[in-house]
Amino acid sequence: MSIFKRKKKQTQDGAEIPSGHRVHSSGGWRRFCKNRAALWSLRILCFLLFIAVFADFIANDKPIYCRIEGQTYFPILKAYGIKSGLAKGDEAYFRREWQNEAYEAVIFPPIAYNPQQSDTPNSYVSPFGKQAVPSWRFRHWMGTDGIGRDIAAMMVHGTRTAMLVSVISMGIATLIGLLLGSLAGFFGDDRLRVSTPRLLLNLTALAAGIFYGFGVRSFAIGEGALATELIKSTSILIAGLLIANLIAGWIEKRFKFSDSIAIPADMLVNRTIEILYAIPTLVLLLSAAALIQKPSILYIMAIIGVLRWTGIARYIRAELLKIRSLEYVEAARAMGLSEWRILFRHALPNGLAPVLVAIAFGMANTVLLEAFLSFLGIGLPPESASWGNVLQNARSYPQAWWVALFPGLGIFITITIFNLIGEGVGESIVP
Amino acid sequence: MLRHLLSRLLLFVPMLLVISFIAFGLNQCSPGDPVEAALESSGVMPAAYLREYRQKAAALELDKPPFYFAVTSAAYPDTLYKIIPQRNRETAAALIAQFGNWPEISRYLKQQDIFKAKLESIRKDFGSKDQFNTAFYAIERLPQAYQTVSIQAGLDSIGFALAQQNPALQQVVSPEFEALKQAYQQIFLKQSRWKLYLPAIHWHGSNNRYHRWLASILKGDFGKSLKDGRLVSTKIREAVSWTLTLNITAILLAYLLSVPIGVYSAVHQGSKADRIISTILFGLDSMPNFWMASLLIIFFTTPDYGMDFFRVLGPLSLPSDAGFWERFLSALAEIILPVFCLTYGALAYISRQVRASTITALQQDYIRTARAKGLSSRQVVWKHAFRNALFPLITMFASVFPAALAGSVVIEHIFNIPGMGQLLIKSIQGDDWPVIYTILMLASLLTMVGILIADLLYAVADPRVDLNNKNRN
Repeated sequence: MSIFKRKKKQTQDGAEIPSGHRVHSSGGWRRFCKNRAALWSLRILCFLLFIAVFADFIANDKPIYCRIEGQTYFPILKAYGIKSGLAKGDEAYFRREWQNEAYEAVIFPPIAYNPQQSDTPNSYVSPFGKQAVPSWRFRHWMGTDGIGRDIAAMMVHGTRTAMLVSVISMGIATLIGLLLGSLAGFFGDDRLRVSTPRLLLNLTALAAGIFYGFGVRSFAIGEGALATELIKSTSILIAGLLIANLIAGWIEKRFKFSDSIAIPADMLVNRTIEILYAIPTLVLLLSAAALIQKPSILYIMAIIGVLRWTGIARYIRAELLKIRSLEYVEAARAMGLSEWRILFRHALPNGLAPVLVAIAFGMANTVLLEAFLSFLGIGLPPESASWGNVLQNARSYPQAWWVALFPGLGIFITITIFNLIGEGVGESIVP
Repeated sequence: MLRHLLSRLLLFVPMLLVISFIAFGLNQCSPGDPVEAALESSGVMPAAYLREYRQKAAALELDKPPFYFAVTSAAYPDTLYKIIPQRNRETAAALIAQFGNWPEISRYLKQQDIFKAKLESIRKDFGSKDQFNTAFYAIERLPQAYQTVSIQAGLDSIGFALAQQNPALQQVVSPEFEALKQAYQQIFLKQSRWKLYLPAIHWHGSNNRYHRWLASILKGDFGKSLKDGRLVSTKIREAVSWTLTLNITAILLAYLLSVPIGVYSAVHQGSKADRIISTILFGLDSMPNFWMASLLIIFFTTPDYGMDFFRVLGPLSLPSDAGFWERFLSALAEIILPVFCLTYGALAYISRQVRASTITALQQDYIRTARAKGLSSRQVVWKHAFRNALFPLITMFASVFPAALAGSVVIEHIFNIPGMGQLLIKSIQGDDWPVIYTILMLASLLTMVGILIADLLYAVADPRVDLNNKNRN
């Protein structure tokens, strides 16, 4: 980013370090900080994450703190308590119209609306126009949509949706990508050797885990609470694999198996990546989203995560291809460390930096995908606050420019900062 | 070269096979009922509807097993796919998942039909029409009820309606009703949930839906759309001309504009002009095209802001009998905005790449040599630097093209252009799977061909590239 001024030109490691600054061992963080655009993007990202975490305290129809008839309440905290089952909601709590109470003292959130609430007299009011609100405190700062929902409140909760989807789906993608990419890069086609019983046991456990975890439980998954049931199913799968490997370890020790089969890890992973590359992501994502019966943000996160790991896998594979022939890996091998230990304790941590670039760009992409899907109204529940969802309503009433402007701006800024961070990390890795 | 081409083309076969598995698997998992998507009438005359449903299901080959084999619990019968309509099959599967005893469940489901027939035969003798309707409504809904509560509620409401009839009528109908209740009780009493945990493999042979679908695709027959019964190939041919014209125009524009922009800002690297260009390009690169499209539509096609220079393509402006080019030319004024939306993203991306690669090329030694021997800066830039900066342009063509196609999904949706993107979204919203998986396979094939062409062009442009070297990546 040549247009953004930099404090100083990049210098060689160790040169011109202002005294009193802590120097990171690799110098990457220092180089990153010199890129002011990237640093500011990181700060904006922290701000967005803050909004996402505290969305309920920033935009809510309930006050944060209030006093009615001599009693003190913390209604938003109480809502959390009721949701988690720690507190009981009494009738007065549910009956209360929080915005029309006679308070002795009250602190409302900065935006005194929640994203679902429709303020019917104020349909399509402009941020600068006349609004039928009791005081400036209840003004719709970014206007409202057709049924009087506050755009600012939807923006705040849309931030939460966008951050949640991008963080969790990229988390899934990172896990899959790191695992498969490092297997492919570190072991190649002939170094992942597994004894016959271990291979057979793992394959059996995998098949059984899918059958018992997902096949048999498909009814439970469909009927019960989705998140818990999915976690249970995944735990069954993982437990099966763990047990299989424990048994395999015991068999190997007991019967002293020496013959082993080489698994062409690199070939398998590369072929999978090639296939995922060949299918246009958007088409696959749309067709996969069409399968969703009960729209839920969880499915969207899972689908994006499962489809978007290839970039990360390629980065880590390329890194480990270099690292695996470095001297310190040889030294570790000579010391008799196991291959897995070398991979996870020594090789992988040193190859992680480039992955950050892939993650940052992946985040930008995920934010875009989530907005795109909710813009088309596919996959996400219609009542959930999402930037794409708000933007979708803009066309039905062209006079309301604010309905189109703000959510788009949200998407644009988020994508831009992720791209800038990605570039910044990329530049700081290569000195 | 030829050997490489052949081996790459051979690799297409297994990859397309895997993609066909994915497409077909997605179709199998889709919640919608294909027969209901295809049938226009929805349950006005129950008996006639069911007959029509059966015919349609047979025409769509839904009476055949889906795949060569199936791995299920031992509790499920291997002929579960034969139960139609689909909703009844889902109920049966849900009941099996709860109780695991298919013989009893099957008896209970059969008893429902028997009781329903009996109930219809005594329609006239019923005390009042309302009472009959209550009972009949309940028995009609029973094949879709799988939760204990809803089944019990259905049985109760039938029992209540029957109890209000005269004793003679009750006498006539009670054996069947008792049998139905008995059959339901049996499901509870003879549960065999252990069967659910036994895996079973059913072999179906080659007379299955996947096999026949793949065979017909190899013959070039992509089937018929469920929605309007038209050939998928016809629908796609109509749509693809719009998409291709728009995208080729957009990509050509993007390439034509981005090369001078990229080279200019690379040559003037660090200048004010370069900074401004880079900022704008970076911004455009991050700008979601559906936001841009929404803004353009709002500000430039509606009279509210006094800037309605353009129109949005409406179905009215398309004379359906006219040829494609005639329609296209008549729609030219409406097409400027979508082409712009398709162009700017590619433009920004390509310009940034051209700038980066030209900068790299300008730092090479041979550029210094060229300058030293007194060539004009124009000759240095265009003859020496640009030629070597061409590489990314070539590879990008392979990635820009599929990306542009994907990007036009939402642009076509927003601007109401009857292209592939709109076809895809409409098919997905309408569960029109024959169209969806044809598009999925075609788009994948296009992408693979694009990647292959990029590799070949790479080798043609640079003799140093060795295609047979396996360790490139």
